[in-house]
Amino acid sequence: MRYKQGALMTGYVTILIKGDRPELFFQKCMRQGILVWNIKKTADDACIGSVRLHDVKELKTIKRKTNHKLTFIDKKGCPFLIKRFTKKRQLMLGLVISVMLIIFLSNIIWEVQITGVPTEVEEKISKQLDEYGVHSGAWIFTLDEPTAIQDQLIKDVPELLWVGVEQKGTTFYLEGVEKSVVEEKESTGPQHLVATKKGVIKNMYVSEGLPRVAVNDYVEPGDVLVSGIINEENEDSEEGEEDKERQLDLVAADGDITATTWYEVSVNVPLGGDYEMLSGNQEKKYYISLGNLRFPIWGLGNPDYEDIHRETNETPIHFLKWQLPVTFIDTTLSEKLYHSVERTKEEAINTGIMQAKNELQLQLGPESQIISEKVLHETTERGKVKLNLYISVEENIAKAEPIEPLSQGD
Amino acid sequence: MKKWQQHIRPWLVKYLALPSDVMLELPRITIIGQIHVYIENHQGLETYSDTELKLKTNKGFIRITGSAFVLKMMLPEEILLEGTISDVTFIPD
Repeated sequence: MRYKQGALMTGYVTILIKGDRPELFFQKCMRQGILVWNIKKTADDACIGSVRLHDVKELKTIKRKTNHKLTFIDKKGCPFLIKRFTKKRQLMLGLVISVMLIIFLSNIIWEVQITGVPTEVEEKISKQLDEYGVHSGAWIFTLDEPTAIQDQLIKDVPELLWVGVEQKGTTFYLEGVEKSVVEEKESTGPQHLVATKKGVIKNMYVSEGLPRVAVNDYVEPGDVLVSGIINEENEDSEEGEEDKERQLDLVAADGDITATTWYEVSVNVPLGGDYEMLSGNQEKKYYISLGNLRFPIWGLGNPDYEDIHRETNETPIHFLKWQLPVTFIDTTLSEKLYHSVERTKEEAINTGIMQAKNELQLQLGPESQIISEKVLHETTERGKVKLNLYISVEENIAKAEPIEPLSQGD
Repeated sequence: MKKWQQHIRPWLVKYLALPSDVMLELPRITIIGQIHVYIENHQGLETYSDTELKLKTNKGFIRITGSAFVLKMMLPEEILLEGTISDVTFIPD
């Protein structure tokens, strides 16, 4: 219905024509090119029809030439609605201000709730949070991500084992788990100490149990290092003399057994390499984005760095609990520098050894000690040095293994 | 001159298969069931009431009768009538 298209947007009026042969009035309108629709004859001398708002002026000039009576009976469309609204300007202003206020308040922290930890730790946490700027009354989008706060908190509050930070609307929920100091030694059942890796025993300190190996012995994984059965030998010697059913003395074997173990590691080290570094120069930019559009607020113009590393943080703006399609974006532009290195073969070997040692140390944990390393084999091909390394390590190889209750009697 | 034109037009319609409503300036009436009448190429409203619509055309009048008539749209030379239609008659001059 093309005639009605946009009529609601631009507005239209319904008119009532009274007089002799009212349809002739519409006939005249038609001749003038005025669009008329929904013409109805309500009585012999009355006719109603709808006309666009901007045709009304012409309507009046036509009316002057005829002796029909014209009355407006209905007004519809946007212009009339807007007019009605703008008449109540205070109301509109109040509405806009209240919406702005709600948006403003929706982006402020109202409450920080900490659960799951005793009060002293809670106080400590809230003190730390204050330092990060997380307190009631703070702007939400000036804060870090919950995950970042989480990491920071675990670092700064040593009593915390784990902390979950969740932002729900205007409330921050923190759930902490306190590190409980575990009793050093829990009395365990009878146990042996068993080797976990093959190696040569270097050092033995047995606090409980019967040692079954000596220093410089070679052990394989699964070998018993310290036995939890103390009077085993007695059993052997006095075989038959006493009852086989007599009780064995069982203890929880304990001690530190350090052994020299060895690993074969192969590493690849390129002779040349590129890497990028941030120079430390940086600039910040702030935007407000709506869908795909971005409106800069602060930090216009681009820095004249050659290579730029961008880091973008987006914070959604909330309205009550809903997230608005508007987000606050801050971007950090850092200068990036490319470096390339050329290594000699010797340097490459050294880096390879360092790398292998670091990796192994990470794997084995801080208590292990790397004693020596030896290059078993090296080849150079396609700009890479391939190394086979032999690394010997001193580490604790003992592992507790509970003694199964012996089936006695046979 | 006018006579000559009036003779050549039916000839064009017949032999060149041109649309007759345009060539002969006759009204084109489209009726959808009993509910809609769409008239193009008319030359003005003669009478209009709840039950009757009379339009002037090139050669005479078209008279449409029925009930509950509403002129849904009125443009120069185009009219869309809605209602219950019972009759369409041609009245020559």
